Amino acid sequence: MANLRLENLSKRFSRRVWGVKKMDLLVNDKEFLVLLGPSGCGKTTTLRLVAGLEEATTGSIYIDDVDVTDFPPRKRDISMVFQSYAVWPHMRVYDNIAFALRFKKLSSDEIDRIVREVADMVKISNLLKRFPDQLSGGQRQRVALARALAVKPKIFLLDEPLSNLDAKLRVVMRTELKAIHQQTQATSIFVTHDQSEAMSMADRIVIMRDGEIVQIGSPDDVYFKSADVFVAGFIGTPPTNFFEVEVERTGGLVVLKNPFFTLRLDEKRSRLLDGYTKQKLTLGVRPEDIVITKRGEGLFDERVLVVEPQGSQQIVALKLDDKIVKLVSPRIPRVEPGESVSIAFNYERLHFFDIDTGRRV
Amino acid sequence: MKREVKRGIFRAAKTTTLYILVTGVAMIILFPIYFLVTMSFMSDFEMYNEWPLPLLPSFTMHFKIEKSDKGYLLYIYNRMDKKYLDVLNTDDREYMTSFIKRKTNCPISREKLNSILAEVDRGKTVEFKLRKNIVLNYSLFFRLKQDAWPALVRSIYTALATIGISLIIGGMGGYAFARYVFRGKNILKLSVLFVRMFPAVATAIPAAIILGNMGLYDRPIGLSFIYSIGSIGLTIWITASIFMSIPVELEEAAQIFGTSRLGAFWHVTMPLALPGLAACAMYAFIGSWNEYAQAIILTQFNPTFPVVVFEYVLGANGMEHLATAGGMILAIPAVIFYLFIRRYILRMWGGVRV
Repeated sequence: MANLRLENLSKRFSRRVWGVKKMDLLVNDKEFLVLLGPSGCGKTTTLRLVAGLEEATTGSIYIDDVDVTDFPPRKRDISMVFQSYAVWPHMRVYDNIAFALRFKKLSSDEIDRIVREVADMVKISNLLKRFPDQLSGGQRQRVALARALAVKPKIFLLDEPLSNLDAKLRVVMRTELKAIHQQTQATSIFVTHDQSEAMSMADRIVIMRDGEIVQIGSPDDVYFKSADVFVAGFIGTPPTNFFEVEVERTGGLVVLKNPFFTLRLDEKRSRLLDGYTKQKLTLGVRPEDIVITKRGEGLFDERVLVVEPQGSQQIVALKLDDKIVKLVSPRIPRVEPGESVSIAFNYERLHFFDIDTGRRV
Repeated sequence: MKREVKRGIFRAAKTTTLYILVTGVAMIILFPIYFLVTMSFMSDFEMYNEWPLPLLPSFTMHFKIEKSDKGYLLYIYNRMDKKYLDVLNTDDREYMTSFIKRKTNCPISREKLNSILAEVDRGKTVEFKLRKNIVLNYSLFFRLKQDAWPALVRSIYTALATIGISLIIGGMGGYAFARYVFRGKNILKLSVLFVRMFPAVATAIPAAIILGNMGLYDRPIGLSFIYSIGSIGLTIWITASIFMSIPVELEEAAQIFGTSRLGAFWHVTMPLALPGLAACAMYAFIGSWNEYAQAIILTQFNPTFPVVVFEYVLGANGMEHLATAGGMILAIPAVIFYLFIRRYILRMWGGVRV
């Protein structure tokens, strides 16, 4: 069993700068949790607090219900993969991996067995005798990975480990990491700013901003049920399109009005806005939920600004006043810039957000 | 003249001038060392009576004895003047034996002298040559001053203590400057270098008073404290930049994988900083080993070796040839130290590329 609990955790850097603010989080056993957010949101600080490399200002950290808040890193039964790999250059790959094991008073046979086992897992068995400066970046990263796996920790921490790799290798390593996680079943916390990385790897995603948690949920949760405008705009490529609309109620049904279109909601969807009393609303629609329909059947017509072919799909950009709206449609039928198209929204996938707070309604 | 030819001559002239210049500089550096070596093998007679100084010490000396009014007249052959020089006129055979040994480093047995003098008595003028004990200067150095060998030990002790103090305190200081942010950091960093600006001899006298108050006057450990003052500053500067070049992540990783902060320093930072630390050790050693100005002031009955060498040079009865022998002896541990430390300075872990 290896679960992690953060209670009221915060970290202050100076009188006005709080890296992490009053955070509560529960990470389940065997879970692959991703901390996602823009730079400076506090995700790396949170990871370092869990690792013991930063001292908490308030709050507690529990690993398997043991209060480790005052423990130094080596007593917490964790391991970490750094963004810069932090592989020790003066030791061979074998010794890098065996470093932690030597402190555990294992026999050298046992150490050898474990080192070869993890080296096999990350496919660097033929590199054990080399020094890190004789390896490529990707190989060094695998060494860092093997080193962390060898310890068989309760919690596995990864600080943007794929950020320094080239794009192709990054995608390959994503799958490999996921496979390793399935094999080892280790509770893992993964920090990244790349939302596609988070979506593809996480069991649950924790979206952070300015030191606070904005939403916790599965990839589906944060994608289809984004908690607020920030999450909806952060997750998904191309990002969600937002429209400021006026709310009108006529006879129990809601009508959303906007200089470009008038959207009549059916009963089911109108009921979603029952408690909403404000005049205006932020409507969010994802690009794949905007469709090109036959002429005259859509909500509105508009001129195509730019088309970005993406293989079997195309991203079509429209200009509404000074805002760009993007939609994704199959490449066939092809759309040309300058063409006038009819646009409709998928009613099943409309997202309503409070005009002031941005939170989901 | 064609331009090609002109350029060729010009280049040849440039190269020749360069070689002459370099050779000249090399000679200026090498000749004193050469003379140091040769003088340490020369006897009193060669040093003071043979002028200009011969380029090579001799292995044999030539003598002549003839009958004189006081007894016997002893001549020694001067290589430079190319003639015999009369040096002693006496009857005392004991005195003559010791005189020959003292003046020319050539031991002569009483029997041999007696047989020679017997021949002189018969009216002949005897010319003979003796084998010189080429390394006599070295044993004389230690025999004439009983304190020489303990002084050498004291020098080694002082040097090691200076290295130890400088590396430990300076290393800790450098680490603090590299890893931590604190008030007054910039001013402090400049000021540690500031202490080296003072002339050593000027500060030695107040230093003597301070050491006396501490009870450390005339003790090697006190001397190494004073030597460490300058070394610590330099060590802090060098180690600060060395430690800054070692990424913190390496130490953090070590802490996660089983060490304490101190353990991380020992297992990760220090091995990577070893070339820099070795360079600092070398500076500390150099600052302490050859130093005699402060040592003269700060020691009295327990001098270090350079002081003893210097004592041979002092005064009208200075025996420089013994001093040069001492100089050679002084050089030996320095060479040994250098050969030892060289391995660490040249040791590279393939660079710290993360």
